[in-house]
Amino acid sequence: MNFKAMPVLLFFISWLGVAPAAANVEVLACEPEWAALAQALGGDKVKAESATTAFQDPHHIEARPSLIVKARRADMLFCTGAELEVGWLPLLLQKSTNAKIQPDQPGYFLAAEQVDLIEKPVSVDRSQGDVHADGNPHVHWDPYRLLTIAVAFRDRLQVIDPENDDYYQRRYEAFASRWSDAITGWEARAASLQGVKVFVHHKNWSYLLDWLKVEAVGDLEPKPGIPPTGAHLSRLLNTYKHSAPMMTLIANYQDDKGALWLRDRAGIPVVSLPFTVGGSETSTDLFTLYDDVLTQLLAVP
Amino acid sequence: MTICKPLSGQNTRWLSGVLLSGWVCCVCANPFNPDISLILDGIYKTENTALSEYESGFGLGHTELSMRGAVDDQFYGSLSAVLESHAGATEVELEEVYINTIGLPAGLDIRAGRFLSQIGYLNSHHTHSDLFTERPAVYRALLGAHYFDDGVRMNVLLPTPFYWRMGVEAFNGRLLTGGESTDDIGVYTLNSRWGGDFLGSNSWQLGVSWLKNRLDPVEEAEDHDDGEDGHDHDGHAHSHDAAYSGENMFIADAVWKWAPHGNAQLGQLILAGEYFYVDDLNEYATDDDFNEGWYASVVYRFNPRWSAGVRYGNVELKEVHGDHFHDQQLEEGNVMLAWSPSHFSTVRLQYTNQQGKGFDELNDAITLQYVMSLGAHGAHEF
Repeated sequence: MNFKAMPVLLFFISWLGVAPAAANVEVLACEPEWAALAQALGGDKVKAESATTAFQDPHHIEARPSLIVKARRADMLFCTGAELEVGWLPLLLQKSTNAKIQPDQPGYFLAAEQVDLIEKPVSVDRSQGDVHADGNPHVHWDPYRLLTIAVAFRDRLQVIDPENDDYYQRRYEAFASRWSDAITGWEARAASLQGVKVFVHHKNWSYLLDWLKVEAVGDLEPKPGIPPTGAHLSRLLNTYKHSAPMMTLIANYQDDKGALWLRDRAGIPVVSLPFTVGGSETSTDLFTLYDDVLTQLLAVP
Repeated sequence: MTICKPLSGQNTRWLSGVLLSGWVCCVCANPFNPDISLILDGIYKTENTALSEYESGFGLGHTELSMRGAVDDQFYGSLSAVLESHAGATEVELEEVYINTIGLPAGLDIRAGRFLSQIGYLNSHHTHSDLFTERPAVYRALLGAHYFDDGVRMNVLLPTPFYWRMGVEAFNGRLLTGGESTDDIGVYTLNSRWGGDFLGSNSWQLGVSWLKNRLDPVEEAEDHDDGEDGHDHDGHAHSHDAAYSGENMFIADAVWKWAPHGNAQLGQLILAGEYFYVDDLNEYATDDDFNEGWYASVVYRFNPRWSAGVRYGNVELKEVHGDHFHDQQLEEGNVMLAWSPSHFSTVRLQYTNQQGKGFDELNDAITLQYVMSLGAHGAHEF
C-alpha cells in the first residue's frame, strides 16, 4: 500500500467512534407478528420494529438500504425462518455488518425452529412451485405454537439481557395467562366453523384452519407462489360444482383477482383477511388480530 | 440450534434431488454444504449491433455456476464461474472468487479475491438479474459490460439514521483494459452510497464513484465491429476488457423504486439512471478529449408475471489512434417485454435501436432471451 491511500484510511477511521448507544434491546423482526410478540414480551426494555408491513409479501422483499440500516443497529433479529425470508435475509445479514445478529449468535432467533412445521414436502422440486423444504412457515396462525415460540423468545431475551431476566419472566407470565384465556374464548366462538370447507388463495392459512378444524379443499394458486390461472380456477369450479365451499380466504395483501373471479362465477364469498398485525384497522396486536379474523370468518353467511 | 443457516442454506437439497440423485442422502444429512446455483441464459438476436457482447443468431449468454456459504463465523466465501462460448470455443471464466468478513466491529466489511467492483449502480449486480438483455452502451464501452478484478475492498456502513456506506477498492487492474502497469495496484475506486425509504412505498438510492486507472492507456483501438468485442492481451479468444480507457472515471447513479404498499410481489416501478465521465485519456489528450455517457431506464412490472421497460442512453467516445482520436457516438434505445412465470425464470423480448457515428454496425435488432435459475434461491438485491 502506498501513502496516497492514507488520507482515505484516516477518513474512514475517524467515523468509527460515533455509534450511538442503544438504551435497551433493539429487535428487528422480519414480520409484524414477531415485532408484536417481541414487544409484548419485552415491554419497555425492548424496542421492536418490523422489516415488513402487513401489506408486503415477506417472500418478495429486497435487501434495500433502509433495511440494512435497521439491521446494522439491531441487537436481535426475530424472523420466521423455514426459508420464508431466503430471498433477502442472508443478503441483509451480510450487508448489515452486524456480528450480533448473524446465524448461530444469540441475537439470531427464528420462530420456525422452535416448533414443528406442517406440510413438509416429501421431495422438493421447483416444478411444484415455490415450496419450502422445511414445511409451512406461517406458524403464527396456531395460537399454541405461538405460545411455544413465546417461551423460547423469553429464554433468548434473558440470555441477551440477563439483568432484566425477572422482568422478562413476569412479562411472559402475564402474556401467557392472557393468551391462554383468549384461546379458550376463540375456540368457543369458532366452534360453528368446524367442518366448514373453504378455498384458499395460498397455503398461508393452514395453521389457522387446522386449529379451527376448517377444511381447505382447494388452492387458487395452481402451485405455491405461482399466480392463479384461468384454467386452474375453472378446474376448481368444475370439481366443486355441486358442493361449493363456503368462502375463499385471501390475505388482504394478495391479488384478489382470482378470488373475485370465483365469486362472480359461483357466488363464493371472498373473505379478505389481515394476515398479520397492522393488516386492518383493528389488528393492532396479536390478540386483536385473532379477534378480527374470527369475527370476519363468523360473519360469512 | 440452527439447522438452516442462511449463508449455508438447504437449497442444495433441491439440486441434489434432481441432478445428483445418488447424493441425496449425503446432502440432506449435511445442511452445512454451500448453496449451489446454476444460471441458464440463452439468446437469439436478429442483427449484429455496435459494442455488443452478442453476435446475431442463436447464442448462449452467461451460463453461471455459483457456490457460496459461510466458511466459519468470521468469513463467508463465494465462487461464480461463467461459461461462455465464443466462435466455437468454450471458456470458463472466474468472475467472482472471494472471501468476505462477517460482522466486523464498527460497520466494517472487508472482501478479498476477485469480485465485481461496486462502482456505479449496475456494475456490482450479476448480469442475470438485469432487466434488459444487455448492459447499457456506456457500460459496454467503458467497463467491458461489467468490471471485475483481483483485489481487496473495505467498506464502512456509517451509523447514520439513513443508509450511508463508503468504500474503497484496490485492484490489480489488468482486467479493466488489459493494459500493463508497473504498479501492483493498477486501479483504485472510491464509492459513497446513500439510500432510504419514503412514504412507505418508495425506496431510493444515490451513489457517486471515482475510479483511478493507473494502467497504461489503450494505445490503438481495436476493430469493434467484427461482431466480437475486444481481444484479450493474454492470448484468450475473448475478454471483457473495456475498449476505452482514461485515468479518471466519475460515475453518478440514482435509483428509485415504487411498489404498491411497498409490496413488490404485485408490481413494481423501477427508475434508474447513471452518468459516466472519463478524462485524461492519454498523453496526447487535451481538455476537450473525454468519454462521456449516460442512460436512463424505466421498468414497470404491472402484474406478478409481466414487466415492460424502456431504456435510452447515449455515449460519446474518443477512439484512440496513436497520437489522435476519432470521435464516436452511440445512441441506443431499448424497449423490452418480459414474462416471469415464477421468480426463477424469465423470457424477455427486446427491440434495440442504434444511431450514431463512427461505428460500422449501427443496427436495429430484436433479441429474445431466457434467463433461468436452478438451485439456491437468488438474492433480492436492491
